[in-house]
Amino acid sequence: MEDMIHVDRAMSTQQDIKIKAKGVQVYYGDNHAIKDVDVDIDDKTVTAFIGPSGCGKSTFLRCINRMNDTIESARVEGDILLDGEDIYDPKVDPVQLRAKVGMVFQKPNPFPKSIYDNVAYGPRIHGLARNKADLDEIVEKSLRRAAIWDEAKDRLAAPGTGLSGGQQQRLCIARAIATQPEVLLMDEPCSALDPIATAQVEELIDELRQSFSLVIVTHSMQQAARVSQKTAFFHLGNLVEFDDTDKIFTNPQDPRTESYISGRIG
Amino acid sequence: MTKSSLLAADARTKKRNAAESRFKAYGFAAICVAMIALVVLLLSVVTNGVTAFQQTYITLDVVLDEDRLDKEGNRERADMAKVTTIGYAPLLRDALLTKIAELGIETELSERDVGDMISKEASATIRNKVLANTELVGETVSLDVLASGRIDGYFKGRVTMQSAARDANTSPEALELAQALADEGVIVTQFNWRFLSAPDASDQRPEAAGLGVAILGSLYMMAVVLCLALPIGVASSIYLEEFAPKNRWTDIIEVNISNLAAVPSIVYGILGLAIFINFMEFNQSSPLVGGLVLTLMTLPTIIISTRAALKSVPPSIRDAALGVGASKMQSVFHHVLPLAAPGILTGTIIGLAQALGETAPLLLIGMVAFVREYPAAFSSDAGLFGEAATALPVQVYNWTQRSDPAFVERASGAIITLLVFLLFMNALAIYLRRRFERRW
Ligand SMILES: Nc1ncnc2c1ncn2[C@@H]1O[C@H](COP(=O)(O)OP(=O)(O)OP(=O)(O)O)[C@@H](O)[C@H]1O
Ligand SMILES: [Mg+2]
Repeated sequence: MEDMIHVDRAMSTQQDIKIKAKGVQVYYGDNHAIKDVDVDIDDKTVTAFIGPSGCGKSTFLRCINRMNDTIESARVEGDILLDGEDIYDPKVDPVQLRAKVGMVFQKPNPFPKSIYDNVAYGPRIHGLARNKADLDEIVEKSLRRAAIWDEAKDRLAAPGTGLSGGQQQRLCIARAIATQPEVLLMDEPCSALDPIATAQVEELIDELRQSFSLVIVTHSMQQAARVSQKTAFFHLGNLVEFDDTDKIFTNPQDPRTESYISGRIG
Repeated sequence: MTKSSLLAADARTKKRNAAESRFKAYGFAAICVAMIALVVLLLSVVTNGVTAFQQTYITLDVVLDEDRLDKEGNRERADMAKVTTIGYAPLLRDALLTKIAELGIETELSERDVGDMISKEASATIRNKVLANTELVGETVSLDVLASGRIDGYFKGRVTMQSAARDANTSPEALELAQALADEGVIVTQFNWRFLSAPDASDQRPEAAGLGVAILGSLYMMAVVLCLALPIGVASSIYLEEFAPKNRWTDIIEVNISNLAAVPSIVYGILGLAIFINFMEFNQSSPLVGGLVLTLMTLPTIIISTRAALKSVPPSIRDAALGVGASKMQSVFHHVLPLAAPGILTGTIIGLAQALGETAPLLLIGMVAFVREYPAAFSSDAGLFGEAATALPVQVYNWTQRSDPAFVERASGAIITLLVFLLFMNALAIYLRRRFERRW
């Protein structure tokens, strides 16, 4: 069963636009949560989504790897293209898509298994490691990149759920990058982290940018300004403004953006 | 406004505290009532039934007379089988008379009445022994044979001199003789293994009645239920909970399953009678049919508890698995099912325990029959599960219907056995739950 999800990674060619969203609408039942959003996410860049709570950042993020499929009431309209291919095409298997588009969830959700198994699970089901030594190496590398190796290396067999909230979040980051996705979606990855761990994760994001395209949701303006090249500002389900991060923070075009950045709405 | 002190409770606090202590008192009273009821129930069952695990035996040196048992003198089983149990009874009686004479005990009892002190079952037991080993003929063997039900009852305090005086089956003289024999160590009381191993016996010989066939029948049925209900129940719950689209059809199925769990069990008996016996023509009273009926009855319980266990697994675990690119099936089998396992196991064992104690549907499919023989297991055409058997609760029901008061003791003993089985299963459920419980 596990080899069936063999992912062909050779396909990703150098392309400027990794993800292209056109006229995306999301409804939860009658609740129109995302209203006609167009976004182009470039390859090898960090795109930040900012906006007040409940404006639909997580919802839009979950559209990109079709996690919304699991919500009964959610309905997605419009086109989202990954490398020019429509991910909502009936021929697309969402499982295959999610192997390419990894995700770190807003709430840390490690498996109630050992730390090692948490990280090794993805590589195992995708057949990324030929042997145990290979797998060990992937696990160590992922944990190191997620800045949790030092805390976890002596307790790899301990349950992942026994870690602190911030450690769990970094474990989830390690788990997501262990499968070597092409796009990494991170929903508030640093909300439970102390400044040191935050700095480490930001470093990681910067490093991952060399090889992946990243989308990160954050409530910290400073963080968006530090790590991202592009920023999208959402408000009540609308994409209000989308531009280079510098421009958004220094010279916002929309009054709503300006007042949000300066702390007047939110 | 005056400043209130924390040291003195104000009116609202007093009222709240009073309500709280009242509530606690109600709860405590309710638990006390339940505990008292339980204790009374257990006490009555145990005091009535514990004697069933003891049995009175008479130690005899039986002369296996060749003239009586093997008239041809050729030690051929076929020829010897012509001598029925009636031919063996005098041997036992003579052995007992000899014993009485040896010990020099005086009695006014007729020879016939002395013979009646020995259970009718004893001659059958010794006949089987002789037929199994024909070389025994001509020898004198020392045996513990069953005493009759009345003598047994005397040593358990059920039969007294007064009641014996009014009883056609025994007399005060017989009891006096029994007492004298007991003083000499000829009549002894032993642990009653036969009660757990022997098949049922007829109305006239309660001392020989055992639970063997009932225990075997119950175990066979539990095996059928476990092998069918667990896989079917778990598979259908996983499908309904994780894979099935949520639409009108699955809603209807869900409502129906909940309703099925509430259907009186006797209805399943009627269903089993119609389908398995009348239509599919399986053997009546067979553990196979019993097991199938109990499977139908247990399925809703297992499905409901399995679905509850699956529902209690946090959705974030499913998201996490899907998020790293696991398929739906992988997320269920690698992550959700292991987390739900303790709940599923507990539900299954509770369902099994329910099935073990169920009587009504089994009565309808004829499991109430008087079964004198062990199922012939592999040798017969009907196979392991096709031969007639009874079940523990049915045996209890059956024995409570009998007229001889000795069966009251047997029925209570059977209840104790059933309770021990149930206790064991519940303990297993608790152990498994502890064992597999995981934090998340
Ligand atoms: N599973 C769901 N079912 C129904 N409605 C939902 C669901 N998830 C989100 N919503 C609704 O969609 C809207 C957007 O929610 P979303 O979680 O995307 O906000 P967010 O921008 O991520 O907020 P936050 O910053 O607090 O995480 C909200 O109005 C919310 O009520
Ligand atoms: Mg969110």
